[in-house]
Amino acid sequence: MKRPLTLMVVAGLILGQSSPALAYLKFGVPVRGQQVTLKWAQTPARYFVSDTGVPGVSAADFQRAVGRAFDSWQAVPTASISYQLAGVTSANPGRDDGASVLGFQNRPDLDRVLAATSFLVDSVTGALLESDIFFNSAFPWSVAPAGEPNRFDLESIALHEIGHFSGLGHSALGETELQSSGGRRVLSAEAVMFPIAFAPGSIVSRTLKADDIAGISDLYPDDNFSMTAGSLSGRITKDGQPMFGAHVVAFNLSTGLLVGGFTLNAQGQFSIGGLSPGLYVLRAEPIDDAEVDSFFDGSRTVDIDFRATFLERVVVVPRGGDSGEVALTVVRK
Amino acid sequence: MNRLTTAAFLLAGAAMLQAPPVFAQSPDPPRPRFEAGIGSLWIGQQPLGTRAASETTGAGGSTPLFSTSSDLASAAGIDGRIGVRVTRSLVAEADASYLKPQLRVAIGGDLEGAVAVTATETVHQFTIGGGVLWYLPNRAWTRRFAPFAMAGGGYLRQLHDQGTLVDTGRYYQVGGGVTYLLASRGHFHTKGIGARADVRALIRSKGVAFDGGGHTSPAFGVSAFVRF
Repeated sequence: MKRPLTLMVVAGLILGQSSPALAYLKFGVPVRGQQVTLKWAQTPARYFVSDTGVPGVSAADFQRAVGRAFDSWQAVPTASISYQLAGVTSANPGRDDGASVLGFQNRPDLDRVLAATSFLVDSVTGALLESDIFFNSAFPWSVAPAGEPNRFDLESIALHEIGHFSGLGHSALGETELQSSGGRRVLSAEAVMFPIAFAPGSIVSRTLKADDIAGISDLYPDDNFSMTAGSLSGRITKDGQPMFGAHVVAFNLSTGLLVGGFTLNAQGQFSIGGLSPGLYVLRAEPIDDAEVDSFFDGSRTVDIDFRATFLERVVVVPRGGDSGEVALTVVRK
Repeated sequence: MNRLTTAAFLLAGAAMLQAPPVFAQSPDPPRPRFEAGIGSLWIGQQPLGTRAASETTGAGGSTPLFSTSSDLASAAGIDGRIGVRVTRSLVAEADASYLKPQLRVAIGGDLEGAVAVTATETVHQFTIGGGVLWYLPNRAWTRRFAPFAMAGGGYLRQLHDQGTLVDTGRYYQVGGGVTYLLASRGHFHTKGIGARADVRALIRSKGVAFDGGGHTSPAFGVSAFVRF
């Protein structure tokens, strides 16, 4: 028995669901009262590309740009995910037909949605059966190698959406500022999976960051990943109470790389997997650089009334093991 | 023999008695002599550099989220060695040491105003290595003091969190010091018992480091030794 489960996952405005798994923000689906992490049970994950182009991006351009984005995820050395182009289709994305389709659709009504990913899930097993990505042709697009002013880079946005296609949720590793128009402008980000896209013309999101690599490796680990990578786990409290939805960032003192996670249960626990063994600084902060519903569904109450706080000890992440639970107390703003 | 001649002979005899064996003109090689010592070693602070946690801007630049500045604090530990005299003025030594310096990471400049803190961790540091010690010519300031120069190096092993994470590297050291002979041969079946003090420049390569370079710090050692 199958039922469609649609998750609007977009580079600009997102509706997502969180899994209770104590690692990355991964999509979870309820199956017989249990949350099951959404992922492809079998790889390569096969996809079709639409035969429709838009001004500035031909169908062939589209196929090549999307192919490069799939290649970037597939090239992560510590992950086992792979993808396969199944062909070109005249079908539009969004049809529950068992075929995963990527293509343009004109949705001027979604005036802040650059692209979105939806899923078809087996409600008995929780297996991912289909994932479609639409790119909103109401926006101007580009596949120019160096980008084009006032046009969104297709490969960058495709890289983000293919992260969702693979089962990853959003990262909160980014800084934004509110604009008078009501939206947010991204100042900086250190994850392709940050929910808000850079301004048109930018191509920096064509490259996966450490946070993205850790996330996809955690979801689809290769044979050696569990033995070579480590994890950092702990608990966040405020006023003696555990916190749900705090953003936790691990900073590797040797590599300078950042990987984030969240407290994802009622005990305020978090676990950031896929870390290189080493010494880490730990920082907790509220989710205040994007809408909370970009990360969690509306049924969860996320406390953002606390100050960014550092743990006053260096955390040791061992090879193939866990740091052991660290405790961090935060205070109100 | 007049008084002047007698005085001259006495002075000559006294000078021969005071002369250390190094000045003797015997062609015989020195007999092997072993030395074992144990004491304490202090190593000064070692800056480990600064590193910023940065995010990428849309134009490809970077914005610091916060910054860190790290060092290994000065620490005292134990140092032991054994040596063998290979010439009259040259001693080959093997040594080992253990210290527990504290890794300190000063975190500040947070983009969202987090209170600056210093995060710490205790490192268990072991070294094992070797070197040479060279007694300077005309070394005897008195019958008991002997200055020397030293150089050496070896293997460094630093354990974090009771050994769940290991950093390894190398160290090199150059310096000098002085030995003081408290008791000469005949005491407790030894050839001498004494004390030694030295200062060194310690250069560490790899090990816990966040900037990829070598790190130099002062070191000071005091120890007791026995010669066999």
